Amino acid sequence: MKIALRTLLATAMLTVPATAFADAVEITLWHMEQPPHRVDRIQMLIDEFNAANPDIVVSQEPQNWGEIYAKAPAALAAGTGPDMLFAIPDFAPILKEMGALTSVEDFVAELDAEHDFVDSTIEAYSYDDGVWAVPLYNMTLNLWYRKSVLEEAGLDVPTSWDEWRAAAEALTTDGRFGMGLPANRQLYTDQTIYSVMVNGGASEIYSEDGSLRFDNEDTVAAYDFYNSMMEFSPPDATSWTWGEAEACFASASCGMIMQFTVISTYENQAEGDASDLGVAAIPTRDGSGDNATIAYANAVLLLSQEEAEREASQEFIRFLLQPENYGRFLNMEPGLFMPVTADGATADSFWSDPVVQEYRDQIETVIENGQNGKLFGFTSGRVFPAIASISAQNVLAETLQSVVVSDMDPADAVEAGQARMEDLSR
Amino acid sequence: MSRGRSWNLVLIAGLLFFAALVGLPFWWVISGSFKIPQEIIARIPTLFPQSFTLEHYQKLLSSSDYGTYLVNSLVVSSLSAFITLLLAIPAGYAFFRLEFKGRETYYRIILLAYAFPSIVVLIPLFGMFAKAGLVDTRLALIIVNVAFALPFAIWMLRSFFASIPKEIEEAARLDGGPPLTVLWRIMIPLTAPGIAAVAIFAFVTSWTEYVFASVMILSDARRTIPVGFSGIIGQYQVDWGLLLAGASLAILPVVIVFAFIGRWFVTGLTEGAVK
Amino acid sequence: MARKPILAFAFVAPALLFLAATLAWPLVSAFVLSLQNVRGIGTSGQWVGLENYRFILTYAAFWESAGLSLIWVLANAVVQTLLALAAALILHQKFPGVRIARTWIILTWIVPTVVVVMIWRWLFSTSGGMINPLLIQLGILDRPVGFFATPESAFATLVFINSWRWFPFIALMMLAGLSRIPTELYEAARIDGASAFKRFTRITWPLLAPTLTVLLIIGTLLSFNVFDIIWLMTQGGPAGGTRTLPILIYETAFRSYRMSEAATIAVLATVLLMAFAVLATRSLARSGDER
Repeated sequence: MKIALRTLLATAMLTVPATAFADAVEITLWHMEQPPHRVDRIQMLIDEFNAANPDIVVSQEPQNWGEIYAKAPAALAAGTGPDMLFAIPDFAPILKEMGALTSVEDFVAELDAEHDFVDSTIEAYSYDDGVWAVPLYNMTLNLWYRKSVLEEAGLDVPTSWDEWRAAAEALTTDGRFGMGLPANRQLYTDQTIYSVMVNGGASEIYSEDGSLRFDNEDTVAAYDFYNSMMEFSPPDATSWTWGEAEACFASASCGMIMQFTVISTYENQAEGDASDLGVAAIPTRDGSGDNATIAYANAVLLLSQEEAEREASQEFIRFLLQPENYGRFLNMEPGLFMPVTADGATADSFWSDPVVQEYRDQIETVIENGQNGKLFGFTSGRVFPAIASISAQNVLAETLQSVVVSDMDPADAVEAGQARMEDLSR
Repeated sequence: MSRGRSWNLVLIAGLLFFAALVGLPFWWVISGSFKIPQEIIARIPTLFPQSFTLEHYQKLLSSSDYGTYLVNSLVVSSLSAFITLLLAIPAGYAFFRLEFKGRETYYRIILLAYAFPSIVVLIPLFGMFAKAGLVDTRLALIIVNVAFALPFAIWMLRSFFASIPKEIEEAARLDGGPPLTVLWRIMIPLTAPGIAAVAIFAFVTSWTEYVFASVMILSDARRTIPVGFSGIIGQYQVDWGLLLAGASLAILPVVIVFAFIGRWFVTGLTEGAVK
Repeated sequence: MARKPILAFAFVAPALLFLAATLAWPLVSAFVLSLQNVRGIGTSGQWVGLENYRFILTYAAFWESAGLSLIWVLANAVVQTLLALAAALILHQKFPGVRIARTWIILTWIVPTVVVVMIWRWLFSTSGGMINPLLIQLGILDRPVGFFATPESAFATLVFINSWRWFPFIALMMLAGLSRIPTELYEAARIDGASAFKRFTRITWPLLAPTLTVLLIIGTLLSFNVFDIIWLMTQGGPAGGTRTLPILIYETAFRSYRMSEAATIAVLATVLLMAFAVLATRSLARSGDER
């Protein structure tokens, strides 16, 4: 027994990881794509890369969005952080403020010349005289529905807010909710309320000079409309994250939902009939057809300060963006991650995936809708550091909760929301 | 002891209530983990599974390092329990038996340790561990877990020592045994059930810990079960089947352990010392 | 009895030093942090004296959280104690299978908190969850409700979940207290013709009270510090309805990136808890149960 304990103790003390190759450069990738099949796909690409580049050893450590806000800064401050981190635009300013980022402008220019990035994806990381990350994959919110369900109710796909509300009302029947909309103080709700805002003329929360302009009539109108839709959403929507919305749609308890994609859930946990799955742009306030949506240009942040590690990281990113690899990378979750490069959008490796082939119509629609993607706080070509706190504290969603949960008047709530943003900018 | 009929009815009703309160959630989780996805999210849930599948378990085991998490959790929890005992037994004995200046003060200070919001120590400890090169090691988790289990362990042990009849200990002392020998030869064997209970307490404290493990551990190979489990929750999609399978497998090891030693935990707590 | 200071020191010192290094020292550094204006982790700040204290003590969110924490502690104490006492009294009886019941009631406490959260999030959800259909079938509800939909119901649901996790442990500690009450006392009372109710109020309750007091003190400290269940379940929402002090500390540190303000709240919370603990243990010492 004693010997066993001593062995255990020795095992626990083994803190030094075994080095694979004595002179190879070892780099670590952190990302928040934790579901097992995504991790597998990334590992497959890493293995190929490592085999082709014997002098570099890449390894991945999947992390969780819930913890990363505490963990990444702490680990970087302690010198134990990763060399690469996949993240969203909101996250970059946090690390930039602590001096962990170096501009990758030249590297992005090199890749842009070769693959031609979608401009808005670079813009989300371009500010303060630098480009702070390399765009990797895009995500946009869309309106998902079942064609048969709309038909049965004699409805067309809604294009204006009035039609949208009428459709939600008509689809709300015994045991079904017309429109599953979250009202949680969480990122998903930030995304859905902002997607409504951008379609009601309230895409900017900052003026050019950096002053907040969140508190305006258009924002209030968007909150007012969103609140009026909540009566057609399940009662527990105030605690929803992405998963609950998808489950609601998959079980046909929700007539429509706003989501990045529902394809893999629909395929694996629901009927999986590709011809019945509908996707449309998020309706605009007046039905003008000039639809916009929220777009998350996910990117990779280069975090190592050492030249050799940076070089190795860049080599890995070059590898990922090669059209023959890039499609397989994006298809770690078919229908969720959209290409950010021109040659990626036409790549065989992207379109040849069986699920992508089956849902080709839907994915083409998603890509098309993404052309007019925006992200709050990143729309004006300048980024104000407080956006990181505003996003991390989910102020947009918090404001919505004031309306939906606390029955506050939308105008008062939006005013309070702006005050909160100002407080966070302190 | 005899009871009236109405008392028996109250007793049975109470038992059923607690059995449902504790048992039903677990039944739902475990039975749910064998249902096909469509049945799990069906609008009208089923109490007994109408379908049977192992796909969630296959998916879980093929795509996550459950075995690694399990070993990590077992190593961290066992060592935490062991070190807690190592520190708590002498301290508990000293606080009970040995007289020294400020005994009562120190004893109270130890219990005051629970007055710290544990969140407070997260950042300073992370900084300390970073300096000592302990970030991303299981040793860091062991240190944290011992710190959380230790005060309560000392308090419990002290009361177990106190339940040993004085005469037994005094007889040993009169035989000329030094305190260490008395502790080792007499007190520890006599309080064995209590010590087992304390060890189990420390083990469980460590087994269930999530916050520190999630921040201190960076690499997948050193994750414990709670952190590994939170990993499969996913951000954008919730695979309830996978989650239920993960929950069942996270419950299973402690259930097996408790099937063997659970009895001791209860007798240890209730009796403390061998009578 | 001979005084052996060196030996006593050797027995106690390792535990004390360990706690000093892992708990007391970090608290000191939190205090140091509270006198500066550090924002993000890994950034530096300047000394600002008591400025943070002045700010936090006039910060409405702090007082709201402090109030919620107080209600949280009280609600948990009541629910847990009642459930635990009922369970302990039942488990103290003799009936077939009592051993099994005593062992397995603890199931809720040995499950990782993350799993507890997952289980209840699923059970309470309106898509696939069991609770809503069950309550509808029992005729308690006529349509599904969102248990986390309003601040009040979310708070109550969290109290239930946290109590569900902890009550069996407390019940066993109470059972330990009960089993130390000599059975002769009950026999004597029965011979005197005392009713069951009288036996409870005259024997069980007074003799159990000291154990209950200790459990209440430790339980209060532990439930005040509950972080993971609340954070993983509601992140302090909806509309701040479950934002107790630990949640506020975490949010201020890692979402607003104001480390110094978070440290200030933490120091204030610790002082509050310490004051409570000192007063409570002192009254405990006076009632003279500790040996």
